[in-house]
Amino acid sequence: MAQAQQKPKNARDYSMFDAEISGAVLNLALLRRLLRWLKPYRVTFGISAILVILASTLQVLLPIIMSLVVIGHIIRGESGSITPDMGMVDLTDWMAANLSVHPLLAACLIYSVVYVGWAFVSHAHRMTLVTSVVKGLRDLRQDLFSHLETRPSSFYDRVAVGRVMTRVTNDIEALYELLRGIGTLIGEFVPFFVALTIMLSIDVPLTLILLLALPIMGSATYFFRRATRQLFRLVRMSLSSLNQNMQENLAGMQVVQLSDRQQHNLERYTGINEQNRGYEVKSARVETVYGAFTDSMVSIALGTIVWYGGGAVIQNQITLGEMILFTQFISMMFNPIVVLGEQTNVLFRAMASGERIFQALDWDEVIHEPETPVTLPERLKGELEFRQLNFGYDADVQILKNVTFTIQPGEKLAIVGPTGSGKSTLIRLLSRFYDFDDGQIYLDGMDLNRIHSRDLRKRIGVVLQDFHIFSGTIYDNIALGDPAITREMAALAARRVNADDFIRSLPNGYDTELSERGQNLSQGQRQLLAFARVLAADPEILVLDEATASIDTETELLIQDAMRTLTEGRTSILIAHRLQTIQEADRVLVLSHGEVIELGTHDELLANKGLYYTLHSLQFQETDADHADDTITDR
Amino acid sequence: MLKSLFRLRFFVGVYRWRLSLGILAFGASRAFEATVPLALAVGIDRVAAGNADVAGPVAVIFGAVLGRFAVVSVARYLVRTTGLNVAFDLRQSLYNALQHQGSGFFNRYTIGDMMTRAVADISLIQRLISMGTILLVILIYATVFGFGCMLYLSPSLTLLLLPPLPFIFLYARWSSHQMAVTSKDVQDRLSDLGGHVQENLSGIRTIQAMVQEENEIRRFGETNQAYADAFHRQARINSLMASWMPLLAAVCSVTILGYGGLLVLQGELTAGELTAFFYYVNMVVQPFRVAGFVISLFQRAAVASDRLFEVISLDPEIPDNPADTAPVTVKGDIEISGLSYSYPVEQRAQVLDNISLHIRPGESVSIMGRVGSGKSTLLKLIVRLLDPPRGSVKIDGHDIQDYPLSRLRSQVALVPQDPFLFGEPLGDNLTYDDPNRELDRIWDAATSADLKNTIEGFPEQLDTLVGERGVTLSGGQKQRATLARGLIRHAPVLILDDCFSSVDTETEEHILSELKRLRRGQTTVLVSHRVSTARHSDRIVMMDSGRIVEVGSHDELIARGGLYAELERIQREGADDSDYELAGAPS
Repeated sequence: MAQAQQKPKNARDYSMFDAEISGAVLNLALLRRLLRWLKPYRVTFGISAILVILASTLQVLLPIIMSLVVIGHIIRGESGSITPDMGMVDLTDWMAANLSVHPLLAACLIYSVVYVGWAFVSHAHRMTLVTSVVKGLRDLRQDLFSHLETRPSSFYDRVAVGRVMTRVTNDIEALYELLRGIGTLIGEFVPFFVALTIMLSIDVPLTLILLLALPIMGSATYFFRRATRQLFRLVRMSLSSLNQNMQENLAGMQVVQLSDRQQHNLERYTGINEQNRGYEVKSARVETVYGAFTDSMVSIALGTIVWYGGGAVIQNQITLGEMILFTQFISMMFNPIVVLGEQTNVLFRAMASGERIFQALDWDEVIHEPETPVTLPERLKGELEFRQLNFGYDADVQILKNVTFTIQPGEKLAIVGPTGSGKSTLIRLLSRFYDFDDGQIYLDGMDLNRIHSRDLRKRIGVVLQDFHIFSGTIYDNIALGDPAITREMAALAARRVNADDFIRSLPNGYDTELSERGQNLSQGQRQLLAFARVLAADPEILVLDEATASIDTETELLIQDAMRTLTEGRTSILIAHRLQTIQEADRVLVLSHGEVIELGTHDELLANKGLYYTLHSLQFQETDADHADDTITDR
Repeated sequence: MLKSLFRLRFFVGVYRWRLSLGILAFGASRAFEATVPLALAVGIDRVAAGNADVAGPVAVIFGAVLGRFAVVSVARYLVRTTGLNVAFDLRQSLYNALQHQGSGFFNRYTIGDMMTRAVADISLIQRLISMGTILLVILIYATVFGFGCMLYLSPSLTLLLLPPLPFIFLYARWSSHQMAVTSKDVQDRLSDLGGHVQENLSGIRTIQAMVQEENEIRRFGETNQAYADAFHRQARINSLMASWMPLLAAVCSVTILGYGGLLVLQGELTAGELTAFFYYVNMVVQPFRVAGFVISLFQRAAVASDRLFEVISLDPEIPDNPADTAPVTVKGDIEISGLSYSYPVEQRAQVLDNISLHIRPGESVSIMGRVGSGKSTLLKLIVRLLDPPRGSVKIDGHDIQDYPLSRLRSQVALVPQDPFLFGEPLGDNLTYDDPNRELDRIWDAATSADLKNTIEGFPEQLDTLVGERGVTLSGGQKQRATLARGLIRHAPVLILDDCFSSVDTETEEHILSELKRLRRGQTTVLVSHRVSTARHSDRIVMMDSGRIVEVGSHDELIARGGLYAELERIQREGADDSDYELAGAPS
């Protein structure tokens, strides 16, 4: 916000984005809302929940077979009547008797089968979990994208694209990360509870003593995380300023060398580098101590079991097999805490991201559509009337003032005026990118606000200054997904606007894949392609915001020629920057500070000696320099 | 691979004691660790025999825990800090090496490439030392102590446990490769997705104007699905590994259970020792699971090391070892004789062809010519951003190689064509070569470069942060700022490389008259494309294809009717439509 105050001109309203992120680690309302996207996949999700219990039970059986069956029953001949062995002892005896094998072999067989079963079931659990959640997150991302894609222009005026974009990318990604973490957490916590049940049924005091370790480990983990969260942040920050310093130094190396700043800059870099190392060393210190501590807890627990359990065995409170079983459960007891510690940051991030995602879904700015839109005829005549139109993006700054004029069907109207005079706003209103209520625009006598924006835009072909190229082939970019435009029609349109030649010279002709933002085409080629796109769609009205960038003379001629074809018999509004374009228009409208100053033919206006005359003569006084960069010597 | 890693020896060697001590401490910690199961076995056996005296074994366990805690913290700390220190030193060396490279180098390598080396490659080496060393050491010690204890307990059982280990190693290596492949796939899909969203949102107006929303949402659905699929595939590989790996290790457990159980029944092993075996087998299996990962750490660090030393071991592009016979301050006499130059790396034709030009002290000279005629190259050769052949460029009668670089560049101030500003306060940008300049001089230079009003327009004036994180300046403002940065130096020779291209004519007039006033009696060379700029100079040098074709004052050259006269005619008569907008804009 501080920045916004600094630059009132470019101020963007970020408040609606960053408002009220609560920052809670567990936000139940948020989770409930998230679950809505999981609902369609609840069956798979439910199966996963059942499988994890099954897998955990199998996992717990393994140490039972080892301790209670092999050591306790087979080796020591301890009776299995009171021990909670889940019938493993009886099963072993039954197998040994019926298959007439050594009980040890029977136990090994059961052990192997349980192991394989565990491996299979836990894989099935993980996959069902992942499948259901991934589908849910995919849907959430899709819904979010659709939502953003259909927000009106006024919304995008106020927000930075980058910030909206991260909702779809980073924030959803944080939920995917959470999925990875949750899978691990479930896999640790469920066996923990199964093991705990069994331990409690064997010996309550020993179990309680061992449980004492949990709060100790828990608080150690908590303090460790709290200490490192801050440290990690400092490490990240210092690392990024380290990289930024280097990057900038590289970019400005010539200036650095010319100013003889190498030594000074190296010292500055050293400072940041040392700072970074300092934080890294600090966090290494904390981390190594914590790591050693959690490892030690396992061994301490072992000692405790032997100490306390030994006495209990001698007093026949528990069997030796049961005591060994305790030692086997140790890691199952401690792992959840460690993993939980590892995952808190992920959880924390995911919660904040979740909030941002729902915030985005709650941005409900819309263009108001008529309740009963009029049905447009098959072909419009193309008469446009602007009547006393007033408009401003903000209530206090009026951009258009009482704009009134009419364009006849098929007429070419050039609009000229200084930057900020309201030319772009005029055509934005015509395409109904913004709601307006002060004044009217009529298309063939129909109030524009009674036409659905979607229907309207199909009748208005807009060529903007920055040509947006869609990823896909040339043909895709001309047809834009309209099945009615065949390849022949697309080629014909391209030929008529002089684009056919360059398209054919491309490696795959009309099937050439265009990269994002059309970098593999020149400025002029992109303009021609934009023309072909409009011509193929054949709208009744053309709106063209002429490019200001200079284009080589040859292409310039092609473009001028193509513009003639394009405007032929079509109502055209041209925001003109080139004299040639203005001269070929039927009439010229001069706009200044949102008001129509002059309207008439080129010659009439020149004769008037008004603003147009001034603009026109100024233009000839300016001589233009050769702006081209000296590319040979510049890197 | 070893050869590449060997190049790191000087960097690691500095910390050899720290590293060795860490490795030794690791050994001690593993020894403590190996004691625990043994003590456990003794305890269990005493209990099994009805002996309630377990204080001894319990004391050993607690003692081992304490010992290990102390030793392992130290060990990890020592090794990790070694890695951090090596990374620190590598960054310093890289930074220093890069500061001595010039245009030849930066033509060959991109900044992005260098940043990858500085960020990713150094972090790979740091990981090798911090993590790779720990793992390697653990691997060796665990194998030694684990097998040692097992052999002590039962040689035959130990031998039976060996066969599965190679399979565990092979599977671990294979699956870590698989995981790398799938995780790269996930990353790629994610960046596709980001690209798609970015492309869409930045073109949202066109999309909506063309009623393409539904089409785009459908297309996004495909990208979205591709990512979900890749994520799913990765999850499957990881899940399979999480199931298979323990299963392979379970072969060992079953062997212990069956054969070990038999040994106990036969009285050759005790129940306690059997339990201990389970701990030891875990200890020795672990290294086989991570061995593949360790190998890949080494391999990747080797590649990283090669890439780093490729830059670090480069010699400075412009050697700075002057005879130092040259004067400390110069008068500004530049003599260029028979200078030819072609870029060494690119197989391109000569850029400069036998240039001879004598610029006298106090003279102002304009250089004109087409794009690519060699103007900028000539200027760069004068300040040794490029290195001319010895003897071809002399300042005050001394070859420029005889000046220390810093002196040459402080006496001859070049303002380059590209108006580059650092992401720092504006004031610091203006005083970039000498941060201790007085405030008055800064404002004087800013006034001369017509930047004063701009600066005063910012609430924080000279403290205004420029660049991405601050205020974005227009092309013209940037150009005037770099101009001020040159003017502030009051150097005996000032060279301006096309510094008015984004400045409107009126402002240019103002700056030119300021130049005239400030530079009286000092040498000024400027490159321009506009006749209106050049005409005020004492002499105008026309260049074409690397040669000087005309030299003379404005009037002389007009009278001659050559290239310059032609240019003057075109610029006088030729009107260009593209300035229409500019002309109409209220300023």
